[in-house]
Amino acid sequence: MLEMLSYEFMQRAFIAGLLIATLASISGTFIVLKRYSLMGETLAHSSLVGVAVGLVAGYNPLWVAVIFAVLSSWLIEYLRSSFALYSDAILSIMLSGSLALAVIIVSLGGAFNNSLFSYLFGSILSVSSDDLVTIILFGSLSLGLLLLFNRELFFICYDEEVAKISGIKVKFLNFLLVTIVAIIIALSIRIVGSLLIGALMVIPTAAALQFRVGFKRSMLISLAFALFSVLFGMTTSYYFSLPSGATIVISVIALFVISLIINKK
Amino acid sequence: MQLKFEVPIFDVKNLSFLVRENTILSNISLEIFHSEYIAIIGPNGGGKTTLIRMLLGLEKPTAGEVKLFGKKMSDFKEWYKIGFVPQRASLVDENFPATVEDIVKMGRVAQHSIFTRFSKEDAKIVHDAMEKMDILDLKEKMIGTLSGGQRQRAMIARALASSPEILILDEPNTGVDMVSQQRFYKLLAKLNKEEKMTILFITHDIGVIADDITRLFTINQKATICNDPKETISCEDISKLYGRESHLISNHKHNHSGDTEC
Repeated sequence: MLEMLSYEFMQRAFIAGLLIATLASISGTFIVLKRYSLMGETLAHSSLVGVAVGLVAGYNPLWVAVIFAVLSSWLIEYLRSSFALYSDAILSIMLSGSLALAVIIVSLGGAFNNSLFSYLFGSILSVSSDDLVTIILFGSLSLGLLLLFNRELFFICYDEEVAKISGIKVKFLNFLLVTIVAIIIALSIRIVGSLLIGALMVIPTAAALQFRVGFKRSMLISLAFALFSVLFGMTTSYYFSLPSGATIVISVIALFVISLIINKK
Repeated sequence: MQLKFEVPIFDVKNLSFLVRENTILSNISLEIFHSEYIAIIGPNGGGKTTLIRMLLGLEKPTAGEVKLFGKKMSDFKEWYKIGFVPQRASLVDENFPATVEDIVKMGRVAQHSIFTRFSKEDAKIVHDAMEKMDILDLKEKMIGTLSGGQRQRAMIARALASSPEILILDEPNTGVDMVSQQRFYKLLAKLNKEEKMTILFITHDIGVIADDITRLFTINQKATICNDPKETISCEDISKLYGRESHLISNHKHNHSGDTEC
């Protein structure tokens, strides 16, 4: 374990991983309660378009991914509130459309290689110093906003209409939440990969809900599960040379199954 | 009786609401004053809930105007003065991770900026609201494990925790047993009489609360305002309003005073 941490790339991966676990589980609590679970998957695919553009055009893929994820989160909220479309249909269209677009861009640019593979499934080797700075910068901002608006977001999750009547700025906060989620997802694709990040947002909360405890405790359980999964998943990834996203997701699913069993009615 | 110069909590003038040329509400004018206990009755689809949604700014009227506490809807910011308990109050998501106390605390959220923490005063207000609704012993319980009646009281406690000046309830009795309903009506009467809480209550159980209310609005596209509820409910207008033969069940009768407009 200590030998693993003597490598700088692993130190960077662990710092990024723990911050991402914190962000994914806290934002995931709101996402699951608002029935936005599929949102994570969709934005992850949108951020992949950003990665593709970044790889082909020679910009930092993480920055471009953040921009694309945020823009598509706004587009989703706009479509949802302005047209007679079902939310899951919008998400489904955006998800497959983004993936198709990403594949076309990298194919045309000739960048369909190992680099893209790491963005799909995550890699502990891939977190550069620049990435770590980006992750800490945007991650701290997102975490701060989530904690500041935590009471309001919880109220909206419970009953959007009553929250609105109480004077909570529901529309603004919904936009803020999807923007934060978009940023978190784009930041996570280095470690967890765009095909698997949705799981890290949704599964810790789904597991925590099995314990049937209040809001704060649920969030803490979800956080503990996400942190454990990332630590365990990255360690396994290191020792067995497996993609970190896959080992993290398998770890969190194991915790989910255990939660289901011990809390069976 | 309200004083003539008092600013009404709600001042509704010539309100109409149309959906694709179908008239839902037509030319409604009414005022609601402090300390009143008003029941709204009318057939399903008659526009009761639509009227409430327009009072709360959730729907925009096709014509007419709503003023809240003397201010235009667009200028009104003090939403904490209004406590709302929706129709689905007792139908919560059973898996929602909230204790009764978590829910009641939501009533305090809008009074705070994002930078202030809940104070001891907030805790006391939340405690008092739960005490009034007789749910203090349930505060650690998960909302999904409560009975319909207990949930309903938790929702009202949440509304009371914002220290509102008016409590608006939209038929919150779905999924609530008869005994809990009776207890609920007594709580509302007590809030109105002892704490001078203004109450606006959409209900079908007009006979049961007839002795408690101060005025009655009947809504069926148009509004009829009755300052003597007992007189109205004892006449055959109810049957006409609902479009079928209706029976009234009243607990007991005593005289009311007041003007008669209908």
